[in-house]
Amino acid sequence: MSVYQVNKILYLTDNDAAFRKRMQEEPEVVLNEFSLSTEERDALTSGAVGKLYQMGVHTFLLNHLYRWELFGVNRDNYLTRIREGMAYDPRFEQGNMPVQRFIQK
Amino acid sequence: MAKLVLAAGVPHPPRLVFEMQQSPGKTKGEALMKQVREQVEKAEPDLIIEVDSDHFVNFFYNNLPSFCIGMAEEAQGPQETWCPMPRYTVRGHVPLAKALFRYGVQNKFDLAAAHELRLDHSLVVPLHFLNPGMALPVVPIYTNGFVSPLPLATRCVALGRMLRRFIEAWEGKERIALIASGCFAMDVGGPLRGWVDNEWAETISKLLARGQYPTLARRATEERINAAGNNSGELLNWITVAGALGKTKPLFLEGDEGNGYAVWKFD
Repeated sequence: MSVYQVNKILYLTDNDAAFRKRMQEEPEVVLNEFSLSTEERDALTSGAVGKLYQMGVHTFLLNHLYRWELFGVNRDNYLTRIREGMAYDPRFEQGNMPVQRFIQK
Repeated sequence: MAKLVLAAGVPHPPRLVFEMQQSPGKTKGEALMKQVREQVEKAEPDLIIEVDSDHFVNFFYNNLPSFCIGMAEEAQGPQETWCPMPRYTVRGHVPLAKALFRYGVQNKFDLAAAHELRLDHSLVVPLHFLNPGMALPVVPIYTNGFVSPLPLATRCVALGRMLRRFIEAWEGKERIALIASGCFAMDVGGPLRGWVDNEWAETISKLLARGQYPTLARRATEERINAAGNNSGELLNWITVAGALGKTKPLFLEGDEGNGYAVWKFD
């Protein structure tokens, strides 16, 4: 397991503009530069937020997937995806995903 | 001898500045920040010590201290490009930060120290409101509020106590404001996003209002904090500040859906 590498990819995406640009333009090439397991790579490229969550990726870093709309994750599907595989919880009904406004450099 | 003249706690909603600009006078957060700022102005501090938890902007898993003092001469933020608010340069106070580092180590607090900082919204949002124009120098103290294992809340109380003793022993004559940045209970990117653990938030409010800080620290286990959502470890910043309060009760304390705003004054 190299969940550290997944966390690192998401951390760099938010903190390093040049890295982020590459993640938006050639994500497959960028992922090759990290030692990911097949499972981790597949979960990332398919935008399987719930799976990444269960693998132990930090939720603050998972947020960056929808924030930068990577691998098909966006603010409309993020919550549904992170809850995939979880038992229904009535607390899910409370609150909504706030609308995000992006400040692009 | 320096003097602790005021302590405060406020949250740092990344969109508060933006929302306030969109609908001036309409957000509860704006009104509460204003109330806190008025007290800060009255206390006339010369320097701010801000207790905060970085959100993976300055620290990452490659190097993630439980407690760290910011020793930069100045630093910029918020660094997050998605945070809609002005960018600031915040001045530090290197002599005080260095003295605190030494005092901590000599008093069995083996703190980390960082001479270069990238400030995130959690550090800058409170300062936007409470340090207009970034006129006052700011010494950040970071706690790890997000990555398990969290520091023990009782250890945060001890850190706050040490901080108070340091302020009173420090050779400068500054009037110091101590500010906690953080919410009581919230989930920002986990499966419970949108839900607020009001029961826990109300317990925190009640214990703070009564000045029962050691009780709050005993009840704020990592298990209890995590059950309230992934952002709830920011409570440790409040608890660190509480450690510096002695028996002083808040002058003002207001809860706002998992966010808390409070002020303590010292004569």
